[in-house]
Amino acid sequence: MFLSFTATLTKAWSFFLILWLTSCLYVSGEYHEHETEVKDFFQRNGSSTHTNNWAVLVCSSRYWFNYRHMSNALGMYRTVKRLGIPDSNIILMLADDSACNSRNKFPASVYANAGRNLDLYGSNIEVDYRGYEVTVENFLRVLTGRLPESVPRSKRLLSDSNSNIFVYMTGHGGNEFLKFQDSEEVSAHDIADAFEQMWQGGRYNEIFFMIDTCQANTMYSKFYSPNILATGSSLEGENSYSYENDHDLGVSVIDSYTHYVLEFMENVNKTSRLTMGDLFTSYNVPKIASHPGIRSDLFPRPLGGGEALHDYGRGSGWRHPGEWVGREQEKSKKGSEALITDFFGGVVGVDIEEDTSDAHHTEASSDSVPKERTKAEKKGVKASPYLAQRTTKTRSWINLKELRAWSSFLIVGLLVGLVWARQS
Amino acid sequence: MNVAPSDDLRDPSSLYFQYDKVRRSIIASYWLVFFLALPLWWNTTSIERLPLPSSNVHAQHGRELRLPVKIALDPAFGSIASSVESELRNVIQQKHQTPPLDVSIFVGNEQGGWYDEDVYAVKPGETGMVLDGRRLGFPKDHLTPSSLAQTLSSLILPYSAKQEHRVAQYSPRFRLAFTLLNEDASAGQTVTGWDILDAIDRHISPITSAVSVLHNFTIESQVQFHAPLAFEPKPLEDGTFGLTPEDLTIFVNSAEWTLSSSSSNDPVLHFVLFVPSLSRRPLVILNDDGTPSTSNAFLIPQWGSIVICNLPPIPNEKWLSNSDLMTPFSAFSHQLSALLGIPKLPSGIKTSPSTSSLSPWQIDALLRHRMHEAVRRTKDTLLSTVQLVQQIPNMPVDAKAQSDVQNALSALDAVWDSEGGKAFNLTDMLGNSARALTSSQRAFFHPGMLALLYFPAEHKYAVYTPLFASAVIPLIATAIREFLAWRRQRREAVNER
Repeated sequence: MFLSFTATLTKAWSFFLILWLTSCLYVSGEYHEHETEVKDFFQRNGSSTHTNNWAVLVCSSRYWFNYRHMSNALGMYRTVKRLGIPDSNIILMLADDSACNSRNKFPASVYANAGRNLDLYGSNIEVDYRGYEVTVENFLRVLTGRLPESVPRSKRLLSDSNSNIFVYMTGHGGNEFLKFQDSEEVSAHDIADAFEQMWQGGRYNEIFFMIDTCQANTMYSKFYSPNILATGSSLEGENSYSYENDHDLGVSVIDSYTHYVLEFMENVNKTSRLTMGDLFTSYNVPKIASHPGIRSDLFPRPLGGGEALHDYGRGSGWRHPGEWVGREQEKSKKGSEALITDFFGGVVGVDIEEDTSDAHHTEASSDSVPKERTKAEKKGVKASPYLAQRTTKTRSWINLKELRAWSSFLIVGLLVGLVWARQS
Repeated sequence: MNVAPSDDLRDPSSLYFQYDKVRRSIIASYWLVFFLALPLWWNTTSIERLPLPSSNVHAQHGRELRLPVKIALDPAFGSIASSVESELRNVIQQKHQTPPLDVSIFVGNEQGGWYDEDVYAVKPGETGMVLDGRRLGFPKDHLTPSSLAQTLSSLILPYSAKQEHRVAQYSPRFRLAFTLLNEDASAGQTVTGWDILDAIDRHISPITSAVSVLHNFTIESQVQFHAPLAFEPKPLEDGTFGLTPEDLTIFVNSAEWTLSSSSSNDPVLHFVLFVPSLSRRPLVILNDDGTPSTSNAFLIPQWGSIVICNLPPIPNEKWLSNSDLMTPFSAFSHQLSALLGIPKLPSGIKTSPSTSSLSPWQIDALLRHRMHEAVRRTKDTLLSTVQLVQQIPNMPVDAKAQSDVQNALSALDAVWDSEGGKAFNLTDMLGNSARALTSSQRAFFHPGMLALLYFPAEHKYAVYTPLFASAVIPLIATAIREFLAWRRQRREAVNER
């Protein structure tokens, strides 16, 4: 009796397995369709007219052996601060405090290189969310602005529709998720939805998303909101590796991808005219040991980088045809090129005020474009009936799918029960 | 071998707990618990999503705000009233695709009994164009319909796209942070303090009180003695130092300057009076072509204003008196007006000496502009809220968010009502539109509206299957078996009969 019961159970399990696999297929299919629709819709030209810059830097992993993730985030922190984003506009989230870890032989310091040349912790650092405050919920609340009244200014992303935001994440991840602490995960869908809510709420002008984790390029695959440029350290199914160990510390001090990005950033100063394309073409696969990716199909401005960018992802070390979503759109894009300082820097334009009453105003930045146009575009996007149409479609789809799945679940259960009842 | 039935081995069906009735009621009770628990399970796992008035939101989004503007022409201009009106409509139409104003011009004067606070009057004047309250004195000798229409349009609709990017986004509260920065006090000739209270009274308060219907201001000030620049100003041939336009964009050394306290979430407008180090005086702003500019102030859009204070040689320590602060603070007050979106008077128009620095024409234009902005943002925010709730099925909507949306809609309705109504009052309407904006923003950014974490369908199966399959399958199986047994018994009973 018992044996036959287990036998039927195994049988039942194989049924469930099949059921489960089919439902997985449904889920993945739906999002691809949705992505291409959006891709077509947002192929338009625009330009960056931002008046302020923000940065959200997240290190999501705990424990001493993840020292390198903290130094990744702190390295980025040092760079954005050096390039002119004030502390009040940087949200730094560190899931652990390696500087004050009892195993740290150099207390109150965090180094990103084996020689310990540069202390990233330094004397002037503002960690906004630390330790167990770094949760998926808090991260999403910071992005969407849905924080309780009592949260202080320093923990808020007070951006507006003129803000360019740089989002950097690092930690342990996998296919479409990033682990927070040791207990939870943020999925690519969560971040994509948060960005959409930010766009609808007028909380950004442009976003530059960078992520250094295993299978990082899957994390930006679900984005669907406009004006987002994304880059990641490694392909789906590929690890992202650390760069070097420090033998006195006994741990790896930085990840390879971040190390090379930071190395490139050292050549950038506040008034640099280097473009995002220049950053991307500096990626060197044999050195980084993984295949970084770009996603620019949601981003309306050209990336710059000249001829070298056309060959991005081709050549030695690259897999055919490289990892660049949005390569086709690049040729038809117009407008000013995306500068690195658009996302890492401070202000863009300054008006000189004359003392006389009928002043004439000088625009210090050559590439600022009348605001009206961007505004009108944004309005157009929001008011479009297209969005509503698409969403209702997706929703009924999900309901139908769930209903079907559950009913098949019940039917299979009934069938199995029937067979077992017959046998005994 | 046959064993005779004994008392020790009884028929199982005769055991108390194997009675059909008892066994079936045990199985039924399992099912009962299962079904009773279903609503509980459903209730605890579903997300509270109260309905939002989406059709109303969509209807509101289609409406455009058109504010009435009444202009009374003095009977002296009576002959050209209609041509001025059509000309004025043309000019406004050209500036904006959807005219935000409903202009009506009629002929009359105070004696005619129309006197009303919200009516603008145009009267003949002697010398130049002079504003006195809501009255515009217009010289009769330059009078053509188009020149009057141009002047009126530049007064009632002074906004152009070019200036718009400097104006700070509307907020009911602002914090003004005044900072006196010594680049390097140790180099000597330090400015130790300033008569900030007097200067604010004299230059800033007139502006803040004029726009007090719109904003509530908090003012803070500080003096700092070490504020290094992050770059080296360019030494010029004549011994001065120059700031190129490129330098100006990176002038603010945010890494080392603390310019405002972060004690509240209100947006901050910064006003910095920068005293260069002794070794770098005078510090001048250069034009694009490298020649020194006559100005020593510049404005960073939506952020604030910086004035460079080049003092003549001073004793080692100096307190900036009222007269020293005259020039910097008049620059600050100009720039505060620019940041708040207060329009400048068109060139050639003067205010009569009796009135305060800001004329009602300017304030009204600002109020109308802010009202349009508030209404537009409210409509957009409400639409986004409704769309997002539709789009993201995991997003909860609780009673608080729902009531905020409804409040925003009713405040918008109040705006529409007063737009067409007889008792048109700009300040009331502004209050309603500000209320609509605040409510809609509060609904959108309500902390309870955070979409729950996304779980892929495969995760759901992975959780539910091992949990429930092992419990549900025996239940189903026994139910079927009991049902079959019951049917067999019944058939046998029928056959026996």
